[in-house]
Amino acid sequence: MPQAFDAQNPPFDRLTHAEINELRSTIDIGYWGPGEVIVARGEASPFLHVVIKGSVEERDGDEVEHVLRAKDSFDARALVHGAAGSTFLAAEETLCYLLPKDIIVRLIKRNTGFAAFFYSELSRKLTDYAEQHDDNTGGVNRVLRARVKETRLHDAVFIDAGATITQAAQMMEERHNNTLFVNDGTRTGIITGTNLARSAVLLAMPLDTKVRDVAHFEIFSTNADDFIFEALIKMTRHRVRRLAVVSQGAYIGTLEDVDILGLVAGNSQLIPGRIDRARTIEDLELPARDIQHQVERLHRQKVQVEVIAEITSDLNRALFAKVFDLIAPPSIKEAGCLMVMGSEGRGEQTVRTDQDNGLLLASPVPQTDLDRFRDEFTSALQRFGFPPCPGNIMVRNPVWSQTIDGFIRQIKSWVMTPDEYSAMYLGVFFDAVAVTGRGELVDQAKAAMSNMMQGESAYLARFAKAIDQFEDASAGVLSAIMATVGVGSDVIHIKKSGTFPLVHGVRVMAIEKGVSATSTAERLNQLAQLGALSQDLTDEMHSALNYFMEVRLKSQIEAMRTGRHEEEAIVRLGELSATERDLLRDALKVVKRFKEILRTRYHLGML
Amino acid sequence: MHRFLKRRLDRMRLKDNAYSYLFDPSPEDEVVSIDCETTGLNTKTDDIVSVAAIKIRGNRILTSEAFQATVKPKAHMAADSIKIHQILRSDVAQERRIETVLPDLLKFIGSRPLVGYWIDFDAKMLNKNVQQLLGITLPNARIDVSDLYYDRKYSKAPPGTKVDLRFAEILADLNLPPLKAHNAFDDALSTAQMYVVLKDLKARGVFLKRVRSWDTPLPPVG
Repeated sequence: MPQAFDAQNPPFDRLTHAEINELRSTIDIGYWGPGEVIVARGEASPFLHVVIKGSVEERDGDEVEHVLRAKDSFDARALVHGAAGSTFLAAEETLCYLLPKDIIVRLIKRNTGFAAFFYSELSRKLTDYAEQHDDNTGGVNRVLRARVKETRLHDAVFIDAGATITQAAQMMEERHNNTLFVNDGTRTGIITGTNLARSAVLLAMPLDTKVRDVAHFEIFSTNADDFIFEALIKMTRHRVRRLAVVSQGAYIGTLEDVDILGLVAGNSQLIPGRIDRARTIEDLELPARDIQHQVERLHRQKVQVEVIAEITSDLNRALFAKVFDLIAPPSIKEAGCLMVMGSEGRGEQTVRTDQDNGLLLASPVPQTDLDRFRDEFTSALQRFGFPPCPGNIMVRNPVWSQTIDGFIRQIKSWVMTPDEYSAMYLGVFFDAVAVTGRGELVDQAKAAMSNMMQGESAYLARFAKAIDQFEDASAGVLSAIMATVGVGSDVIHIKKSGTFPLVHGVRVMAIEKGVSATSTAERLNQLAQLGALSQDLTDEMHSALNYFMEVRLKSQIEAMRTGRHEEEAIVRLGELSATERDLLRDALKVVKRFKEILRTRYHLGML
Repeated sequence: MHRFLKRRLDRMRLKDNAYSYLFDPSPEDEVVSIDCETTGLNTKTDDIVSVAAIKIRGNRILTSEAFQATVKPKAHMAADSIKIHQILRSDVAQERRIETVLPDLLKFIGSRPLVGYWIDFDAKMLNKNVQQLLGITLPNARIDVSDLYYDRKYSKAPPGTKVDLRFAEILADLNLPPLKAHNAFDDALSTAQMYVVLKDLKARGVFLKRVRSWDTPLPPVG
């Protein structure tokens, strides 16, 4: 009943007036003194908590992961999956609204807007969790590639078709199950709580009506061994919210959309299905745009930028693979490998700023096939809103779509007789990831490149020199920041001063040390393990990179809104809060330190 | 001893035995936060226009099962007080009289201690009607949040310290979110929040900081 409960506070802004009133009438308020545990890790919680005053620490062991303040809510995971992923502890005197689990779950089922928000929050945590516990595969992919039987299914409960509506309702109540299978001789049907309510209340059917007369006998089912994404596709295709789960010819349970939605972010789970079903390039246009739209949505929902980038590159790669599949002639499918490079290869691109892609061929293919593919592939991507690469690193450019032998010769000339662009080309290629086709070709070319450069300090140094390409942008900016605190009209180019030196420096060290990972985070991780960089520094670099990506994403989204795309990597100091300026300054300091290490390591001062 | 005797006497005087539950022991660790909006501040001539009560169990404020009623007062609703609580004469014309609201309210609060801000005023307002109905005044224990606040803030203050016990001041000092003041439910809710916070401060032996005279900024010079 507290009217003060803020209905404008997301995700509650997505509820209808009636739903808000329904929710309000169930809310209690809880109080915790400093140090008291509100929800313990691994425990179920009967409530969703929304902080009214005070602060709550989200802890993993002794480590504080987040601090939640007024209007923040927790813990989606404890609510839906019955076990909190972290411990939540009152850091000071804390009051929270207590929203009962039952009604939240009911609202999730009824209101998809609410559910989407709620679950992307959940998925962020799940992805974090997956990343911590599973280093090899991306979180989202992991979920989509999970099997139906690995999710929490609702038990299969059977009722005789001759039972009455009342008996069915009682059974649902007793078994805590909203869906019953109906045995009617040789056929099997399904009846849900909604069916019962509709029959009894809306259609005013007598309560002794036989279940047979209200059940559905057309059952949509999925196999327990199916992938989650297959089940999702089925739900979308048939517009149903639950599927019967079959194993070895028998019904073993039901799977509801909220159970799956809980595992994946936003609506991204639906995009792979739509990419998968596409029969023409036109069919891909919509999912391609959705990939881009969800970047903004996920950002608004405060999903970490690293996770957004991961989701986005997974989806982009699926999209590229499908485009390849649709337009490549058999000769290219047979001999070719499509690769993405640069930020796309590192999985660090969110908003589409360019496209870096290429084609390697194991053996020559007919020139007409190749010409047509180059042209069609690049225009398809342009049509989906990928701006052309300013450096022309695209399939359309013959340098970037040729046989493996030709390409390795090309690499050699970049290494041995460099011009002003060579370092950039080598760097972009070193980030390559095979999207589809003969992935071994990418490995082969990379191995060739590493062999040429490893131990050749002159080549490495020339390659490393690129970190000074935008010389002293950061040093100058550092003092500029100091000078302009509070007033500044100064601007800073995030990519030139922050992201680029960091990413490129890590790249150089990865070549030197033979690190094969492509993402900067993973390269840092391995460099620390090899002892090439200290753990502290790599941690700081990782945070700095995330911060740059976050700031850049913000200004990119702003640029999309205003249409001033030339400003997408520009940050105006005057528009930052004091805290943001502090963070930026710290992040730039890390870059500066790292650059000094590189200068010493590769003797850049002498070049 | 006086309280004990009065309680025994009241128990005997109780007109209607259906209300004997008022003398039962209170449910463990439960209190009721209560607030009345009235036609004015004179307990003799003014009447209740709305009343709200919220149970508190341990550290939980049970807003989901709160009691709320608007009452049609006998006393004339003065223009001044209408401005404060914004309940119009026309709003209450259709409402129940206090005589019919009271039994429900009493049933709700039972024998729980009453928590309020300036609780004696609310109790007096209620007692006018309880007296008529039952021949006694409310036997419930009373807890005034301004007393609890005073205890945490000023009990150790040197003489001459300026004491500020205004509702809004307590709310702000405890960092509680301001609600729509002068609405019985919201005032009862604010009071309940003050209560749980102050009770915890007391349990932990924590005192609230006072602004000392030398902490206040010097007046600007020139």
